[in-house]
Amino acid sequence: MSLLTQYDADAESLRRGIRRFLLVALLAMLAVAVAIAVRQGAFRQTTGYSFVANSAQDIVKGQAVRIAGFRVGSVTNVKLKDDGQVAVDIEIDADYMRFITHDARVELHKEGLVGSATLEIMPGADQSRLAPAQARLTFSRSDGLAALANQVRDEFIPILKDIKTITGTLADAEKGLPGTLARIRESADALNVLLATSNRQVEGIGGTAIRVLGKTEQSLGQFSQTLEATNQRLPGMLDRTQQILDRTQQVIDHAEKIAAEAETSVPPILRDGSAAAADAREIIGGAKQTWPISSFIDPPAPAVLKPDSDPRGEAGRAR
Amino acid sequence: MRAKSAFLLALILAGCGSTPKPAEPPRLRAALEAESDGAKRYARGEFGAAERRFDEAMRLFASVDDGPGRTRNRLHLARTRLAQGRAEAVLDLLNGADPAAEPGPALDVLLLKAQAQLALARDAETQQSLAAAAALCGAACPQAASLNLLQARAALAGNHPQEALAHADSALKLLHDKGEAIETGNAWRLIAAARLAGGDAAGALPAAEAALDIDRRLALPEKIARDWLLIGDIRRKVGAGDTAAAYRRALDVASAAGLAEVARSATQSLAQIK
Repeated sequence: MSLLTQYDADAESLRRGIRRFLLVALLAMLAVAVAIAVRQGAFRQTTGYSFVANSAQDIVKGQAVRIAGFRVGSVTNVKLKDDGQVAVDIEIDADYMRFITHDARVELHKEGLVGSATLEIMPGADQSRLAPAQARLTFSRSDGLAALANQVRDEFIPILKDIKTITGTLADAEKGLPGTLARIRESADALNVLLATSNRQVEGIGGTAIRVLGKTEQSLGQFSQTLEATNQRLPGMLDRTQQILDRTQQVIDHAEKIAAEAETSVPPILRDGSAAAADAREIIGGAKQTWPISSFIDPPAPAVLKPDSDPRGEAGRAR
Repeated sequence: MRAKSAFLLALILAGCGSTPKPAEPPRLRAALEAESDGAKRYARGEFGAAERRFDEAMRLFASVDDGPGRTRNRLHLARTRLAQGRAEAVLDLLNGADPAAEPGPALDVLLLKAQAQLALARDAETQQSLAAAAALCGAACPQAASLNLLQARAALAGNHPQEALAHADSALKLLHDKGEAIETGNAWRLIAAARLAGGDAAGALPAAEAALDIDRRLALPEKIARDWLLIGDIRRKVGAGDTAAAYRRALDVASAAGLAEVARSATQSLAQIK
């Protein structure tokens, strides 16, 4: 009987130990699961935003979204809309919401020319207002290597066309270089003929011109005499003018000096004069009210002007 | 010696015993002094200074809400500007008054307006003002003589010499023994001008000389100069030989008094008779 009792006690002890072990193991598993969830951001507070792109190229679900190179969220959904555009939903950690202004935009660019694509949120200039949750941000895609090549091609093609046109024009027999040279040659011949004719005419005119020049020479001689006379008188006149100017300058200087002195001295004098006049008025006013002077002076009273219907005597000459 | 001392003592006691005059508030006293000073300057013909003092008085009275004082000085100011020949400014001043704030002598205002309108040759407005003034004056009022004189001036301006003469005669009768020398001189001048305009140049001369006599006694340079101009016109009409002398007197007086407009008229008249 005692052996059976002993066996039951050991079995109970073993069962209790197993139960403890299982409980600890369960708790450890739960802790690991929670840690994984925390690590995966299951308990992080996030905010959703969206943007619309022309194409889903280089955009995939789970793709990292960065701000200034730091991962702050990820792409949660990419779907094709009815109008053929691509709607992209992103989630951003609530801690980084402060960087997403109402005018922020999402840019897709590649690391280097051929690197992997990343989505980067570029905050806008107006930092005073943040984008609300679920706001639709603007999206742009930076040019890759293909776009760059296309751009170069677009730039070069018109230049090549221009070169082709220019060389074609130069080679044209009528309008190009050969035709132009032929026309220059013709013009040179015509010019030679014109010069020959002109030479003959100038020879005829020469005689007349020589006579005119002779007269002009005489006039110039007279003009030269006048200039010499003027030259002789001019220094004196200039000296006198200079003297007058010097004197005028002296007068102006003097006037300026007086004005400057007056500027400083007159206002105080005027103020003093005004104060003195006020004092004098007060003294006279006081004296007027003092007996026995007050007995001889009438106090000021309303004035009556004598009637005058024609103060300027204008009636004498009727209009 | 004892008598002198007793007299002095009596004088002092009389002074001490007299009733003290009630002191006026300083601002009101200043307003009254400005008005009084303005009137003195106006009488001396210092119209610029008079205008400033009346303006100051008007503002001071306005500052103590003394309506009658303000109105009185507004009228003084208007008369001063009329004497300066600034009729437009007079009309601005009188039209700018608020009748509710400054109730007062409407008749005086109308007469001053009529004077300004006459100076500006606004005949229709002058007639309106004078009709309103006549209605206010009624059969008789203290300003009746002035009203008659202005009616005479208006009639003369409208080329109605007989009507002008009748009004001027009425004014002269009203002014008889009233001691209003200035208006009497105006009346004589108007009679002379009306007679001249009516073709009675011979009758005009003694009237003009009567006006000149009064204006000389009152020492009013502008009126004296204009009287001489009128006398010159009359002499010219009757064909007297001393016409130029009258114009020269007008020129002398006007030049001495700095009356450019009258001097110019005299010079033109002299040029016309040469």
